[in-house]
Amino acid sequence: MRLNVLHETRYRYSSPVVLSQQLLHLTPRTLPWQACRTHRITVAPQAGEFDWHQDYYGNPIVRALLAAPHEALLVRAESEVEVAPREQAALAAPQIPWETLRERLHALDAPPLEPADFLYESPHVETWHELADYAAKSFRQGHGALEAARDLARRIHKDYAFDRKATSVATPLRQVVRQRRGVCQDFAHLMIGCLRSLGLPGRYVSGYILTDPPPGRPRLVGADASHAWVSVYCGEEAGWVDIDPTNDCLVDDEHVTLGWGRDFGDVTPMRGVILGGGEQELEVRVTVTPMSGAPLESMHDG
Amino acid sequence: MPRELLADYPQANGRHDELFAAPLEARAHWKPMLDQLAAEPAERMRERLQSVQRQMRENGVTYNMYADPQGADRPWELDVLPLILPQEEWSAIEAAVVQRATLLNATLLDIYGEQRLLREGLLPPALVHGHAGFLRPCHGIKPPGGTMLHLYAADLARSPDGRWWVIDDRTQAPSGAGYALENRIVISRAFPELYRDLKVQHLASFFATLRYSLAHWAPQDGGAPFIVLLTPGPLNETYFEHTYLARYLGLPLVEGSDLTVREGCVWLKTLTGLKRVHALLRRLDDDYCDPLELRSDSALGVPGLVDAMRRGNVLVANALGANLLESSTLLGFLPRLCERLLGEALRMPSVATWWCGEPAALQSVIANLERLVVKAAFPQLRVEPMFGEDLDQRGSKRVIAMLRARPNDYVAQEIVQLSQAPVWDRSHHRRLLARAIGLRVYACASPNGYVVMPGGLTRVASAADARVISMQRGGSSKDTWVIASGPVSTFSLLRRAVGPGELVRSGTNLSSRVVENLFWFGRYSERCDATARLLRLALGRLLDDIPGDEERERPMILELLRGAGILPKGERDPDDAELARTLRAAVADETRPGLAGGLRELARVASPLRERLSFDNWRTLNRMTRGLALHRSRSLALADVLAELDNTIASFTTLSGYALDGMTRDPGWRFLSIGRRIERLQTLCTTLQQALSGPADAELSWLLRLADSIITYRARYMASPEWLPVLDLLVCDEANPRSIAFQVLGLQDFTGRLIELFGDFGAERFESSVAALQGIDPAVDLHPGRGRLSAMLQDWHDASSRLAEQVGLRFFSHVGERSRQTFAS
Repeated sequence: MRLNVLHETRYRYSSPVVLSQQLLHLTPRTLPWQACRTHRITVAPQAGEFDWHQDYYGNPIVRALLAAPHEALLVRAESEVEVAPREQAALAAPQIPWETLRERLHALDAPPLEPADFLYESPHVETWHELADYAAKSFRQGHGALEAARDLARRIHKDYAFDRKATSVATPLRQVVRQRRGVCQDFAHLMIGCLRSLGLPGRYVSGYILTDPPPGRPRLVGADASHAWVSVYCGEEAGWVDIDPTNDCLVDDEHVTLGWGRDFGDVTPMRGVILGGGEQELEVRVTVTPMSGAPLESMHDG
Repeated sequence: MPRELLADYPQANGRHDELFAAPLEARAHWKPMLDQLAAEPAERMRERLQSVQRQMRENGVTYNMYADPQGADRPWELDVLPLILPQEEWSAIEAAVVQRATLLNATLLDIYGEQRLLREGLLPPALVHGHAGFLRPCHGIKPPGGTMLHLYAADLARSPDGRWWVIDDRTQAPSGAGYALENRIVISRAFPELYRDLKVQHLASFFATLRYSLAHWAPQDGGAPFIVLLTPGPLNETYFEHTYLARYLGLPLVEGSDLTVREGCVWLKTLTGLKRVHALLRRLDDDYCDPLELRSDSALGVPGLVDAMRRGNVLVANALGANLLESSTLLGFLPRLCERLLGEALRMPSVATWWCGEPAALQSVIANLERLVVKAAFPQLRVEPMFGEDLDQRGSKRVIAMLRARPNDYVAQEIVQLSQAPVWDRSHHRRLLARAIGLRVYACASPNGYVVMPGGLTRVASAADARVISMQRGGSSKDTWVIASGPVSTFSLLRRAVGPGELVRSGTNLSSRVVENLFWFGRYSERCDATARLLRLALGRLLDDIPGDEERERPMILELLRGAGILPKGERDPDDAELARTLRAAVADETRPGLAGGLRELARVASPLRERLSFDNWRTLNRMTRGLALHRSRSLALADVLAELDNTIASFTTLSGYALDGMTRDPGWRFLSIGRRIERLQTLCTTLQQALSGPADAELSWLLRLADSIITYRARYMASPEWLPVLDLLVCDEANPRSIAFQVLGLQDFTGRLIELFGDFGAERFESSVAALQGIDPAVDLHPGRGRLSAMLQDWHDASSRLAEQVGLRFFSHVGERSRQTFAS
């Protein structure tokens, strides 16, 4: 599917910001199943410094610095992305019992290194016995890792309510578990926490989903904002398989991948440090449309 | 053998004794010390102890406790007896520490680079990926000279058989080297002859090597590299050491908010703009160093620092990410890492350590729990050590369940039997006690390999049989003497040669924060001085027999006390007893407006200036603070309080003497002076306005005493004070340093110079103030009851307030403001 993504972030400050340094994870990653045809980031007012890099995980990242005083900041990322279906391939890959997988990953003689990054606690994902107990109901003896992870996603989807007002980026996972509600980011963290509590790797994926689905398919939750889901490691052959606990589905061609990390903190779409600014107001708008679809909506400048 | 000296010195049972090889048989390298202690009169040691105490106090050597609810600085504890080690033994320690530093540096380079050790299975990935100190943004950064570990410290302990073991590695920002230096300076003075005769190795060349190596590896852009010392700030427990090292190494002491990153380079915000920083010796923890890429909740770091390192534009010592090796889990793996990376055997063993993440190790830990201590595997876990021998059956069960549930999170170690060394018993006139000790040894990287400080910080536990030594738990310290076999290098950093190209005269490198603190240092010291004089005047009147006509000045003095916040505003006049109580409190109680409270503010702004103020300034400040603290603890007669005020006023005169005579006239000094003049001008205006509002026939000597001008007046007029000459002296006389004219003209001059240096910043130029002064007609204006003088006083006061505000806006506005994080998804 060919998708057009527009992601606009606008800050308004009550007093001038004299220095703003921003890290932007707003560029879709090039992947075997995903190609970025066009991509442009514009910053207003114009950034004094602006350069592209790759982060530790191989995600594209932009570093921007604004040293002229400003009272508003608009960052607009626009991309045309081609996404190939991948659900079927994931389902067709060979399945390994999750215990066998775990043993292999924790072996003392040179276990595979790549998943090791995603096995342990990270700043936004604590692990504790309650998560292991919750996950154990899906990870039954001898079950395949993918099959068990899909069951876990299904249960999270059933047990947790989607509620935009319940959490913020600072809400700890323990509180999400206590109140049983949150947004896609919380569900992704929860599922990753469950996997890691069992000794399995879990990766946080940041991206988008199609705003209005093609005829006949349901509208997905989280479509008007940036989205997040989970990548589960299913063995050296099957590799990483993406599961969206917020929508209880395998990730297919309606999800656009920006990048991944251990948790939200590694791939925050816009992470910055500012000097000055006083009170701030934040407005984020995301629109994902099929290329043949309706013309793009946009926030007006000024 | 001096029996009296050793009457309470216990035999070392099951532990090594640093002093004795066998009962009452002292080791050869201790004999000269023991002989001197036994031979000299007891008086000699008493003097020595007093001198040590005095130096520690006056230099303000402290160790700040985060845990202390008062946030109070605790004095650094130093035993008068050094730990003495012979050269042969030291050489083995030295070689082992050099090897270990080399090994740890190579390990860090591998983990932050190729990761061969992980791929080959020599290190379990959990040790890296499970450690919060593995900073992913720092992976792939190539450190200058292949050095990540510039300053390293090893904590050593000696087992009963006399062998040294490494019990901990300090790789992030090792503390204590500055305390070791301070200990050395104090203790070498306490035993000057012995220090010389024993040929104790000097420490200075170690610090010179550190500084030289940083300059060597710093990115070059023509001139001499600019190196700074980054501190978390005065709240840090080892802040004293940061200021001490900064001064000793000659590096500006900066906080994160003093630095900024532009174009991928690090810059210091100075009065004249941004100055490029080439190298940064940091005392800030890894993850706090860059809120943009690392810990996002850090308010202490420099946003963009990691990127500047990545681009090779700044040397950060130690490299960010070095904290990764501060984990006991690594200890068990070092022997094979040493074989693999250096191709040799590890010279000094680490304390036996098992990481429970290895199933076999877990089993053996559970089986031997009562002989082991269980600790957190990674620093982020914050678990207190648990000693197996302390656990009852239920306790062991609980610990074993804990280990089984999260084996990766724990290590177990053998309990180290620390050696014992003699300390001097300060409560007795001639007696040695035994205390458990550990030795912290420092190494620094140089282009020729690691160099070890010949000496170190000996840490002393609070008991002979202690299991842990911690400066945070009331431990003490010792100087460490390594006795040289050859000649001693007498190199001193204080005599470092400076080339003509390195000559610095301007002082415009001052960071904005330093300048702000200097300005307030000027203001607060003047404010304290004025408060002390006002209190002295008010208290003196209570003690003296006041003739009836002087009682008429009482309301004016009460009004001044109200203005200073010492008496509550708008209440009836207190009687003498009430007044005495209030005044006494204003002298000594920090929590009320007054002298002690003012001194506390002064100490607060002076504290970040430590590396810029001479030791003499410190001694004077410390003496004043201590003097007042004594008054808090006991109730003194008013006459004694008065005497203390005399001392305080004398001390302030001394301080202003240092400022006048001991500071270069750089921009920093001008800011300090502007602060003083503004404050003095305002005090004078307020006081004179009060006097003018009183009865026209009032006695005026109180006014002269308050303005410290009574001597001049008497010398000139030899008569009792009258309005015209008093006002002439206090307002118009340009030669009187306590006159309005002196302040106004000085401020005009200083402001002019600032404008010359930094350009016009819309500052008050005092033109109308000077014109008003010159327009005074003594016959008309210098009498009470003439409104014009009172109005002028108000104008001068307002002009100085305007200047203070403008200076703040132009030079300090961005200081103290912390940057903050934002997230958007």
